[in-house]
Amino acid sequence: MDFFLVSLIKIVVVFGAFMTTLAYLQWVERKVLAHIQLRLGPQRVGPHGLLQPLADVIKLATKEGLIPANVNTFFYILAPFLAVSLALISIAVIPFGPEIELFGVRTNLELTSLNIGVLLILAISSVGVYGIALGGWASNNKYSLMGGLRSSAQMISYELPMTIALATPLLVLNTLDLRQIAERQGGGWFWNWTAFSYPPLLFIAFIVFLISAFAETNRVPFDLPEAENELVAGFHTEYSSLAFAGFFMAEYANMVTITCVSTTIFLGGWHPPFPAPYSNFVPTALFWFFGGVLLFHGLTQPARRWDRFTFPAFGVISLGLGAIFLLAATVLPIIGQILLPVFWFVAKVGLLLFLFIWVRGTLPRFRYDQLMRFTWTFLFPVALGCLLLTGLGVALFG
Amino acid sequence: MNSLFPTSADFIRFAPEIVLTVVGTLLMLLEPLTGDGKGEKPQLRWLAIAGLALAMAAAIFAYGDPGPAFNGMLLVDGFGTFFSVLVIGTGLLTVFCAQDYLIREKQENGEFYALLLFSIAGQCIMATANELIILFIGLEISSISSYILAGFLREDRRSNESALKYFLLGSFATGFLLYGVAWIYGLTGSTNLATIQATLAAGGVNPRLLALSAALMFVGFAFKVSAAPFQVWAPDVYQGAPSPVSAFLSAGPKAAAFAIFLRVFTTAFGSMADRWAPVFWGSALLTMIVGNFAALRQDNIKRMLAYSSIAHAGYVMVAVTSHSTVGTAAAMFYLASYAFVNVGAFAVVSYVAAKGEKHVGIGDFAGLAARQPLAALVMTIFFTSLIGVPLTAGFFGKFYIFKAALDAGMVWLTVLGLLNSAVAAYYYLRVIVVMYTHEPSVAVNELEPASSGLQFGWVAAAAATLALGIFPSALLEFASRAAILR
Amino acid sequence: MPESLAQQYFPLLVQILLAVLVAGGMVAAGLLIGKKVKNRVKEMPYECGMTPTGNARERFSVKFYLVGMLFILFDIEAVFLFPWAVVFRELKLFAWFEMVTFVVLILAGFFYIWKKGALDWTQTETSKAHKPPTALDLMLSDELEVAGRR
Repeated sequence: MDFFLVSLIKIVVVFGAFMTTLAYLQWVERKVLAHIQLRLGPQRVGPHGLLQPLADVIKLATKEGLIPANVNTFFYILAPFLAVSLALISIAVIPFGPEIELFGVRTNLELTSLNIGVLLILAISSVGVYGIALGGWASNNKYSLMGGLRSSAQMISYELPMTIALATPLLVLNTLDLRQIAERQGGGWFWNWTAFSYPPLLFIAFIVFLISAFAETNRVPFDLPEAENELVAGFHTEYSSLAFAGFFMAEYANMVTITCVSTTIFLGGWHPPFPAPYSNFVPTALFWFFGGVLLFHGLTQPARRWDRFTFPAFGVISLGLGAIFLLAATVLPIIGQILLPVFWFVAKVGLLLFLFIWVRGTLPRFRYDQLMRFTWTFLFPVALGCLLLTGLGVALFG
Repeated sequence: MNSLFPTSADFIRFAPEIVLTVVGTLLMLLEPLTGDGKGEKPQLRWLAIAGLALAMAAAIFAYGDPGPAFNGMLLVDGFGTFFSVLVIGTGLLTVFCAQDYLIREKQENGEFYALLLFSIAGQCIMATANELIILFIGLEISSISSYILAGFLREDRRSNESALKYFLLGSFATGFLLYGVAWIYGLTGSTNLATIQATLAAGGVNPRLLALSAALMFVGFAFKVSAAPFQVWAPDVYQGAPSPVSAFLSAGPKAAAFAIFLRVFTTAFGSMADRWAPVFWGSALLTMIVGNFAALRQDNIKRMLAYSSIAHAGYVMVAVTSHSTVGTAAAMFYLASYAFVNVGAFAVVSYVAAKGEKHVGIGDFAGLAARQPLAALVMTIFFTSLIGVPLTAGFFGKFYIFKAALDAGMVWLTVLGLLNSAVAAYYYLRVIVVMYTHEPSVAVNELEPASSGLQFGWVAAAAATLALGIFPSALLEFASRAAILR
Repeated sequence: MPESLAQQYFPLLVQILLAVLVAGGMVAAGLLIGKKVKNRVKEMPYECGMTPTGNARERFSVKFYLVGMLFILFDIEAVFLFPWAVVFRELKLFAWFEMVTFVVLILAGFFYIWKKGALDWTQTETSKAHKPPTALDLMLSDELEVAGRR
């Protein structure tokens, strides 16, 4: 089949999945936060608020797109555009799985494999600061200006340890191609993953990378650009309607991208944590376990009226998924070659995303001087030390 | 092809720069650690002196085994060593001459010495560079440190103005130079001077584009040596910068810039000398005239010395124009004599100028001989050398330069140059007359005696001036041997 | 497998186009859809309901510029790490020593700016140096001057 056709199909699938993830990440975040705080979260629109993202989009789209007086119109409009468009690009170079053969067509489970993948992601993520900085500056609002400035200073400051922490695993992997990076960590147990090689050096690099990733995406505890109790909403105070939603979408897209990157570079990409024949049954076991729990809860002790119907329904879906994975792992390798790697990849990304939300529910915000001192006088030296020690390790034992 | 890995010979040939960088970094690191001793940090001063002395020793030691280093990027030869030692010596003299000034302005700190050492490291790289990119890197290291040094008094408006003008115009000129380098690389496929020379000698390079790239590089170099018509920055920068920095700027970076000027235009562009010589001829003449005639009208002594430094760049340009071994040797000798004289002269100026550089008019020097005879004496020696009176270094410098020009058949340039020297005598003599015959001015009456370090600086510079004026042959012989550039 | 450069970059191009379309569509739709009601108060900058004071295009702390410059310095170093890391296994200890030399020099500068307080956001150099004199200071200095003249 034509290469371009295959590419287009893959792009449509990936882009669709990506946009859905972004929409539902918001829902997941609200649910998880609610449960951390002993609340229920979105509950009204659809069962368990499942249609909430759709309702949000409709609500925001019908709001008035206001352009306040005295803003710099060009940059005011350019800012959310830049933020969204740059956030959606990087996913193109993330590998989700190995090379597969489907109906006689061999293709990679990713959009494209570039030999400069890591650099591309770094480049795009560093341009990403423009959206926020321009938005804050163009808004003609003091809060926005402060938010934009803080954000620029914060993002460039945390980009340093992030870049260095990203260079550290490359010492072991020696390639910038994300597909090769993932492939070189495969074949065996989880200690082949870069995060666990040369312990504990690369694990420290991984932690440094994660912390910087929090700051790069302006997430709690580094969300000073939008600190609501001092800056109202920071750089997007003056934005409304879908432009406002755009900044949120960009934030979530950046979150997904950066977790995908950490998964690929540090956590072995699509590779399972232990060798193949056994790991293939983990998805089934997990889905059946959750299905069983849901069925049991729904049928025996429903807390609310609708739980009697929704929990068993979810339980059955989960059991069905488990069955599909069982088939994929045993008799239908044609599906298995896609589903199993993607499962592991999504599971790792999901865990990291959950970590992002968990931290947001748990930690308070930094003060600005603490934030800057933390990266410059702690993360940066730690990342550099880690890099040099890893280099020494590779040079001596590698 | 040589191996990628550097050898010990490479490191020895690069040792002066390594020493300067390491000591400079050390000074920078020690600066926040040494407490605030009322603006005095003698331990850092002595560390800087030790570093410079060590670097000079390393430069001389490296000459024991001359040759290329790092795959031909650097070339340690007599010419390079001469200029390395010259700029390091200038730096040493500057440290001695600056201490009074720095203590008076409560600005003696590690940054000054660190920047000085970095600048000198860049100039050493320039002196030994055998490759356009390395040459450019050296130039940048030297220039950027110099920009900051010119603005060293952060609270002083004139110093800021000086630094900003120097920075903006300097980076503009560097841009020209880099553009020329890019063209040369495009035309010859190499940035190595020897390879460029060979390629150009073989012919087949588009002559117009070659002329364009040579012209661009000429603009860059001419700016750095403050040759007309690219000299306009010099008076403002030298006037606004702290006097010791002006002293250094008019000696060290200028000598190093002439070093690369000579090296590039006698090696890489040597085969097309008949084409660039007319441009140099005009530039040399213009530089001398502009410098001397503008200096006549100055009442501010720093500004006068700045114009005089432009004029002296013109004399050296005459030597470059002659495009001969004799001319190169004459330029080297002249730059050496001029460096010591100028650092010394600016040191006296910074001494008389007193706190905040208030007294920089020529009238402020009135009666200096009656109150501070040593200062007046060394100033007289420096100025007679700048005029070119026999028994001083300046006489032989001018003598060799005009001899080289005559040998190269440039009679008119020689005649005009000599006339220029005669004009120049007026403004130097004016200061000497004011110092010796007038009643002491307020500024002179308030002067406190100079510290021993400053006095040592004066005497050392004056002694070097006289020594070169009475026994020029040793240095000149070395220069003649070193001037054969390949 | 994609072989040519065009094949490698084609999906990226499509992705960029899609991203631009989505972003442009969102911003445009946000501006076009929805009822438009304009009034002066609504167009004011939002300051928690108070009448906005002053100008939002003020000069801001020089610290932000400083961070920008420091970032450029150290980011160049970070970018330099990537090609080094990729060929590291071929050069081994030699590359390591070269990088240690480089990083030590960089860290010397880092130590310097740290000790000089460039990374300290709690107080700025200028706030210490140019504390505007209070009325009391001025009065006292006047009185001293007068006393000195007597």
